[in-house]
Amino acid sequence: MKAFFLLRFFKSRKFSYAAGFAFMFAASFIQTLFPKVLGSSVDLMKERGFALHPVLMNVLWMVLIAFAVFVFTFLWRNMIIANGRNLECYIREELFRHLLTLSPAFYGKRKTGDLIAHAINDISAVRMTFGPATAMSFNGIVICISSIYFMFAAVDARLALLTLAPLPFIIALMLYIGRKIQSRFRIVQDQFGLVSDKVQENISGIRVIKAYAQERSEIEKFGALSSGMAQSNVNLIKVSAALPPLIEFGFAVCFVINLFYGSRMVMRGDISVGDFVAFNGYLSLIVSPIVSIGRVVTIFQRGMASLGRLYDIMSVQPDVTDSPHALRLRPEGEIELRHLTFYHDGARVPALSDVSLRLSKGRTLGIIGPTGAGKSTLAALLLRLYNTEPGQILLDGRDIGDYSLTYLRESYAFVPQDTFVFASSVKDNIVFFKDTYGDEEVEAASRLSLIADSISRFPDGYDTLLGDRGVNLSGGQKQRMAIARALIRNPAVLILDDALSAVDTVTEGRILESLRRARKGKTNIIISHRISALMEADEIIVLDKGFIRERGTHEKLLKKGGMYYDLYTAQQEDGQPQA
Amino acid sequence: MISTRLNRKTANPRLEKKTTSGPVKELLRLSAPYAAPLTIACLCVVIVNAAYLVQPLILQRVIDHFLIGHAAPRGLDSIGGMALLYLTVSAAGGVFSYIQSLLVARAGQGLIHNLRVKVLSIIQLLPLSYLDRTLPGRLITRATNDTSEISDLYTDVVVMLIKDVLLLGGIVYVMLSLSLELTLVSFIVIPVIIFLVVYIKNRIQRNFFHMKHFIGRINGFIAESISGMRVIQIFRAEREKEAQFLELNGQYFATTLTQVRLNSILKPASDLFQNLSIAILVWYGAGKIFGGSLQIGVLYAFTTYIKQFFAPISDLADKYTSIQSALVSTERICELFREQDRLEAPEEGLPVERLDGAIEFKHVWFAYNDADWVLKDVSFVIKKGQTAAFIGETGAGKTTIISLINGFYRVQKGEILIDGINVNNIRLTDLRRNVSVVLQDVFLFSGNIRDNVTLGDDIADEAVRDALRASCAETFIQDLPAGMNEPVTERGGSLSSGQRQLISFARALAHDPAIFVLDEATANIDTHTEKLIQQAVDNLARGRTTLIIAHRLSTIAGADIIIAMKNGRIAESGDSAELLKRGGYYAKLLEESRSHAASC
Repeated sequence: MKAFFLLRFFKSRKFSYAAGFAFMFAASFIQTLFPKVLGSSVDLMKERGFALHPVLMNVLWMVLIAFAVFVFTFLWRNMIIANGRNLECYIREELFRHLLTLSPAFYGKRKTGDLIAHAINDISAVRMTFGPATAMSFNGIVICISSIYFMFAAVDARLALLTLAPLPFIIALMLYIGRKIQSRFRIVQDQFGLVSDKVQENISGIRVIKAYAQERSEIEKFGALSSGMAQSNVNLIKVSAALPPLIEFGFAVCFVINLFYGSRMVMRGDISVGDFVAFNGYLSLIVSPIVSIGRVVTIFQRGMASLGRLYDIMSVQPDVTDSPHALRLRPEGEIELRHLTFYHDGARVPALSDVSLRLSKGRTLGIIGPTGAGKSTLAALLLRLYNTEPGQILLDGRDIGDYSLTYLRESYAFVPQDTFVFASSVKDNIVFFKDTYGDEEVEAASRLSLIADSISRFPDGYDTLLGDRGVNLSGGQKQRMAIARALIRNPAVLILDDALSAVDTVTEGRILESLRRARKGKTNIIISHRISALMEADEIIVLDKGFIRERGTHEKLLKKGGMYYDLYTAQQEDGQPQA
Repeated sequence: MISTRLNRKTANPRLEKKTTSGPVKELLRLSAPYAAPLTIACLCVVIVNAAYLVQPLILQRVIDHFLIGHAAPRGLDSIGGMALLYLTVSAAGGVFSYIQSLLVARAGQGLIHNLRVKVLSIIQLLPLSYLDRTLPGRLITRATNDTSEISDLYTDVVVMLIKDVLLLGGIVYVMLSLSLELTLVSFIVIPVIIFLVVYIKNRIQRNFFHMKHFIGRINGFIAESISGMRVIQIFRAEREKEAQFLELNGQYFATTLTQVRLNSILKPASDLFQNLSIAILVWYGAGKIFGGSLQIGVLYAFTTYIKQFFAPISDLADKYTSIQSALVSTERICELFREQDRLEAPEEGLPVERLDGAIEFKHVWFAYNDADWVLKDVSFVIKKGQTAAFIGETGAGKTTIISLINGFYRVQKGEILIDGINVNNIRLTDLRRNVSVVLQDVFLFSGNIRDNVTLGDDIADEAVRDALRASCAETFIQDLPAGMNEPVTERGGSLSSGQRQLISFARALAHDPAIFVLDEATANIDTHTEKLIQQAVDNLARGRTTLIIAHRLSTIAGADIIIAMKNGRIAESGDSAELLKRGGYYAKLLEESRSHAASC
């Protein structure tokens, strides 16, 4: 359904396209009348004592043609080319909307850089195809057909045939060299990629290069890449520079044929001098459409390839969607997992195996375990970032898939390991672009997560810009801001996924303390490597390779002397003061 | 906002002049070695232009002499001869235009290659004190975009500029020699053309900046949204993000419509004025022809010349903007060149093949910016083979101390001695080869694991394997499909941050340094990997002077000397027992973490 988005666009603009093409047709056709009028003026003037009046009439015609072509061209450009721009923005919107609906499974498989490249290059290639290239080809076709028609019909068919004889060769040569240019151009682009990668690497890795005194050898390596690129550029220019002179020479041959045979025909009286001049005019009219054939072909090829790639993305169906009868209901925070087993796409080993637990409203669950144990997967499943089998995850006694995504996710707040900071103000990052929260709420949430003091020291307080162009937060500040982002929503369920790893143990203790107060009576899930973060939970589960190995309270698990106990003693030895 | 900034810039001609005179000179100096090919290219341009100018004249002669005048052919002065001449002239024009392109390409590419390598060498040798102050993106632009901008100046702009100016001059000359009156009549239109082209191009250019600004923001927005998609979806902020996006996209669309409108005037204007000027010529010429003072062929030649006039003027307007941006790029690169006397000289100084590793700080004062002291009167001695642990709060100056030991920065007051020699006097290459620094944020080069250990130095595979074993990296590398030859990417890709750390230890070990410096990382590493790292650090520290910015109590307690930093000064130093007795910062730290552990 979504893949037909282009067709929808063209349908919605069919009138402006139709009018645009009509104007374009008029402009191109009227343009081809000009040489004829010029030729007729020459014929009028060549006799001694000619009548001035008809010549002046012709002048008037020329002025009319000039303005008509201008006005019609202005009009069609504002329709066809503007539609191309409109299409560009339309596709970008559709793509962005579509990207918002796609699930983490999709993003896990795609590189961010590739997706951005689609958004930039492919859209621009499609615009070029449906805007300028379509216009150029239609325009060129009309001009060529009517010019050649006038050459044949109004001047002389034999002369036209003779003169146009070199054209097929010119076109063949052009396409042949065009292909060569393309392949050499690709080499240049690859080389350019290598050169800029190297530059980037050398600048990001400058400390390592200096520390190991590698400057000289790095410069040598770069020199080799750079001269390779210079050489391939010269190779490219060797063919690309040959194209314009060759085409020009090809047309010069056409002109010479006309010059030679045309003037003989004039002398024999077969055609008039005016016809000869008009013929020359038609010949120069078709030069630029023919020259642009190569370019148009390339644009079309690229555009079609890009369109294919865009179609591929647009036809990916989002995995996680609302069911037709989704419940418009907020879960209250009663969670139950029943024999939950989950495989990531294409994985042979499950990320979670037979996980069962019950977390009633108002209780806190701690999850601990080594990297890859399935802790974060469990959090992702509770947020329904991936689909699970019906009946495996129940919220307030109903299957998680029954809830509308909006209601489901709005009843959660999640603080991930690596906080994503948007290049926007502190406030935007906390309210997360929703305008339903007042300033007091923002400040209260910041105080609870112990970030308020840091924010008050920023140049513009809550309006301070973050990210590339603004203040860079430390790892600990980011995590505390993310906690504020979660707390302001006052969610039914709060999930902290190793969210305190970058704050020191003392601050960690204070944040946990303030969370306990703020989250009284609500459901909480704390995932951590550090025992100190979750030892006060009502229940703690130890996950390992997707299985629950141990469960119980801190004291119970210590007594048991298993994995939890080992982790505890290992962390006790290190102490890990974050000085 | 962008346009006002531009306006201000052009509104101040004195400032403009001052900033551009330097780059022009620098460009001339850089192009000096290519003077010969470039001069020949310019001569070729003259011939190409001549060919353009002669073609209409040939047609004029055919029309006036043979077609209307019915003159008898005499040898080459015949229609056949003229046809042959036309063909020859066109062929010559083509050949010389090809030669010219090749000459310019070779010169331009050669020049740009030299420039690129020079820019990168300067960047590599700049002291870190400079690089810290400069955004990496900006440096990358210097070496890639700015150099190719200058390359465009050579390949496209300069020669084409000469070509266009000569062509314009040539057309005017030929027109004048054909008919003064008609030339003047033609010039009724030309000023209008020039005005229109320059005016509209100027507006198009300004609007183009707006377009670029918006498309840059849009692409940034998309990139950010894709990276942050998980959070957006979890927090159900899709609608808000969509609204922000639609607003940006709408603003961009408005600028593109302006662009379309302006181009819709400019593009057909060329045809309009060509057609109009031909109409004017015919209108004016008809009377002259009637009176017999003008030949039809001349009139026809004029119509062709007016057509030829339009393209170079349009080009010149474009060239003007590319020259401006090339000059900006040149100025930026010149700025970099001006740093040349500050470059590090890795080969100068006292050659020391092998350092012992005794370190002494003597009343060291240091500031990154010459104003805010980061280290204040710091003195300490670390004997050969000892392990020193630095502790203290963030910003206390720990990281600064380790950056000073391998000569990344120069201290303002006091001195740093290694084996009794001032670090400033030791040959930089030798100093750095003897000091291995492992930072928290590990940088891997794209290549394979082995390359990242050897860094291109001549180190045998056996030694690499030993280094990997001692760094506890062997186990996970054995599990990789290609082992040591497993490809890695700049930011590590498939490797975990702990594994990357282990590789960087192997890198240090393989270079067998006398002094090993480590910024101990803690975050996001599970207990198992942490154990491996600890083991690797122990292996590395054996027999070497070792400096660690320590976070783990076990590391700190095991050190020969503990140095606690506070606000750029040494708060206390000594071994664990001494400091405990003292009851200062270290004792408090120990107590705090014990009590925290006890509350568990």
